[in-house]
Amino acid sequence: MTASERRGAAGAPQPPLQGEEAVRLAAQHYSEVLAGVPRRYLVCAGTGCVSNGSLQVLEALQVALAGTEHAGTNGRQEGWPKVVSITGCHGFCAKGPLVRVEPGGLLCSEVRPEAVPEMVRLIEAGEAPQEALTYHDPITGDAYSHEHEIPFYAHQQRITLQNCGVVDPEDIRTYFARGGYAGLTRALFQMSPDEVVGEVSASRLRGRGGAGFSTGEKWGLTRRQPGERKFIICNGDEGDPGAFMDRSIMEGDPHAVLEGMVIAGYAVGASEGYVYVRHEYPLAVNRLRRAIEEANLWGLLGPSVVGTPFSFQIHVREGAGAFVSGEETALIRSIQGERAVPFMRPPYPSEKGLWGCPTCINNVETLATVPLVIARGAEWYAGLGTQNSGGTKVFALTGAIRNTGLVEVPLGTSLRHVVERIGGGAREGRTIKAVQVGGPSGGCLPESLLDTPVDYEDLGRTGAIMGSGGMVVADNATCMVDLARYFLSFTQDESCGKCVPCRVGTRKMLVILTRITEGQARPEDLDRLEQIANVVCTASLCGLGRTAPNPILTTLRYFRDEYQAHIHDRRCPAGTCAALAGKE
Amino acid sequence: MAIGDMSNAPTTAQASLTIDGRTVEAGQGTTVLEAALAVGIDIPRLCHHPDLSAWGGCRLCLVEVEGQATPAPSCGLAVREGMVVTTQSERLTALRREVLDFLLSDHPLRCVVCERAGRCELQRYAYELGLEETSHDKEVARDLYQDDNAFFIRDHQYCISCTKCVRVCDEVVGATAIEMARRGFGTYVATPFDAPLAETSCTFCGNCLQVCPTAALMPVGRIGKGREWDLVRTRTVCPYCGTGCGLEVATRNGEIVSVSGYADAPANGEFLCTKGRFGLGFATHPQRLRKPMVRRDLANRLGLTPDQPPAGLGRSPLVRAPGLAESHVEVEWDVALDIVAGSLAEIVEGSGPDAVAGIGSALAANEDNYAIQKLMRGVIGTNNIDLCARL
Repeated sequence: MTASERRGAAGAPQPPLQGEEAVRLAAQHYSEVLAGVPRRYLVCAGTGCVSNGSLQVLEALQVALAGTEHAGTNGRQEGWPKVVSITGCHGFCAKGPLVRVEPGGLLCSEVRPEAVPEMVRLIEAGEAPQEALTYHDPITGDAYSHEHEIPFYAHQQRITLQNCGVVDPEDIRTYFARGGYAGLTRALFQMSPDEVVGEVSASRLRGRGGAGFSTGEKWGLTRRQPGERKFIICNGDEGDPGAFMDRSIMEGDPHAVLEGMVIAGYAVGASEGYVYVRHEYPLAVNRLRRAIEEANLWGLLGPSVVGTPFSFQIHVREGAGAFVSGEETALIRSIQGERAVPFMRPPYPSEKGLWGCPTCINNVETLATVPLVIARGAEWYAGLGTQNSGGTKVFALTGAIRNTGLVEVPLGTSLRHVVERIGGGAREGRTIKAVQVGGPSGGCLPESLLDTPVDYEDLGRTGAIMGSGGMVVADNATCMVDLARYFLSFTQDESCGKCVPCRVGTRKMLVILTRITEGQARPEDLDRLEQIANVVCTASLCGLGRTAPNPILTTLRYFRDEYQAHIHDRRCPAGTCAALAGKE
Repeated sequence: MAIGDMSNAPTTAQASLTIDGRTVEAGQGTTVLEAALAVGIDIPRLCHHPDLSAWGGCRLCLVEVEGQATPAPSCGLAVREGMVVTTQSERLTALRREVLDFLLSDHPLRCVVCERAGRCELQRYAYELGLEETSHDKEVARDLYQDDNAFFIRDHQYCISCTKCVRVCDEVVGATAIEMARRGFGTYVATPFDAPLAETSCTFCGNCLQVCPTAALMPVGRIGKGREWDLVRTRTVCPYCGTGCGLEVATRNGEIVSVSGYADAPANGEFLCTKGRFGLGFATHPQRLRKPMVRRDLANRLGLTPDQPPAGLGRSPLVRAPGLAESHVEVEWDVALDIVAGSLAEIVEGSGPDAVAGIGSALAANEDNYAIQKLMRGVIGTNNIDLCARL
């Protein structure tokens, strides 16, 4: 019996799916149905494109396509598959709103609703869309009509983001079509929990939230803890300024996050999970809630996952807007309804976490990667990275650079590759001066260190950290003292105030940095700054305080001359500190 | 206090560790701080309290553990077999000085006029570590001054955010009337929506004052009444209910200035209720009865006074109520007891012992209540004996 005959016999898959074969057939059915549509218009509905008007573009497309030949069979909003559908973030936010046409990957960028009728007419006639909607390389001026040809995408390797911009985050069937929940069925039907833990360990997947702890090892620790009741927590409290990796994944591929959590639950012996999301991410919250409903309906969550005796349920908890809530012990307090302040470790959450039970906390990106690791195998994933860290990492590339957006590269890729080849380098007439890696907890690396591989250990040696994936590029018009002051004003403001070094120390450092940028520096300020930074690093309670001085320590290490110019010559070399302006 | 008294779980397994070169035995589950204190090794600390959960916020109790790169807070560090701990070193002293330096930058150093001087824990460690002033620019984060109730004031500029008040309110009292609000440098102890304390679940027990290390929380009656060394502290038992809480009453020139608990009081530890802490004003009240008094009409009948009670006494609500001195006559104890004994004997003879009843008091000591039932049963001959606590 061929696949199509089997499908014909069974018809479209019906929820709930029971057994491994049912999930495989759903994948086959929906991918074939989608492949049968001659042209599908995928409109980016990530937060960036939505605020740029992509929902109006979506509406214009539905209107424009209402009369075309294959729209009839698909309907507009009713019926399936849709000719026009939304997707999560495509990554190339600088060029939004984005519309991609499948199959083929024709990309229309900066699409306005007014341009849609003509665009549809041209594409449906088999012609190229308007010149204005085609991406042109800002340096060479070359036109690129298809997504995979554009340098921004061509130099990436999208693994964790493979579904972002492809699946409709509000439609589980598009996730099935991409082989969704195959990782879960492989884990449930072909592996013991210990084997799942072993597989994740072997993949060398490490925590993408920043600290880089081995995910497999963390699962193993929670698994080995005694206790009837255990929890999985997905940390979606992404708070670094300018970082939106986790948001894009939750908004664009929520089922990958859920699937990762269910696999984690099976591996560690938990039957309940929480997704903790910042309330500033309403789209992520809504799509996760919807995805949980769909997964329950299709039997991928609930009392009998895919027809097995394994039961797993997921709840969404919204954070109230504090950066420190992303710290795991504070996050646990917040879920419990308490003030989000960090607590001393040990005991680690794997021993005593949520409501005192063994708890495994993983970052969104980590969990969204897990299904692929299980479905395609540890060896494949480990092969993508370096000796110490397997796989790829997603970065939010922002700052003084040509192409900003969400990028994914294998670990071990050089910073230069990310900044120059994917990011397109400095803007016209400018030069790259530094890259702040790891957000406000990270470090500022000079251009001369751009050949550093993006890897936990290599970045750590420079004084920066991998962090959650913020990457802010500074050019020659950026004052490094002011940059350090900016990041410190953030951490100072976000300190929870529990421990003295962080509460008062970050304040004192900010006062000194402000003084320096305002031309009021005192000769002893540099020594004082270093002294306070070291105390805050050593004596603070949690990671927020311990890493808060990193931007200062790294700028002092690599750009000390800029500090000295401010202090001794009352001069800002970049010319951006207003109080020192005109003294260049 | 023995370590075993401090931890909730009974511990049988022992760990042997080394603290400052001394071998120390401690039950599994105890902290390094507890183990050190038990053998007389004092570690500086501002946010720790033996009856409250470990907090780890002040960073003064950091100790060095062999094999660990960074110092760890001893208040939250569980003992481990073979652990080697150092509580005093140049590095730790430097760190503790830095932490205190931070705290002093945010604290008015008005020790010369501060009522808490001499008992202030911040002052104590500044003295021990030799800090006269902060080396930072002075900036007081909170200057909120709240006197919204009759019992105590909250002067936030003296607060060091140790949160002991928050924890005692939550963990010991169970009122949970206060919590830290805001973040970072501006974090402060607040009531829900900054409501006056009387509108919260606060019971005014004042146990927050008991654990406050500085002058941030002070009893109203304590203000302007002298320095710590002017006060005489006397331990006694609370006169209110039968629990028998230990009190430490601070007096100056025979006047009660404030009342606090003390750590090893057998019935209550160091925690009190609002009556014991704030309700002792009656002791020196001018209207307090200090000698027995006899109704003036009875005294006149017994020939104890020639004066009659004022005319119209008790007849009309329009007539001014007489003062105690007008309605009663002060007598000696012997006279008063003779009147009571004579009256009781008269009743028993005339109407039988069951015409008499005794009611003990929950405010009285067990011994006193025993005595009154003995009087009723053994002397009067009735079983009519009761206690207000039963009602």
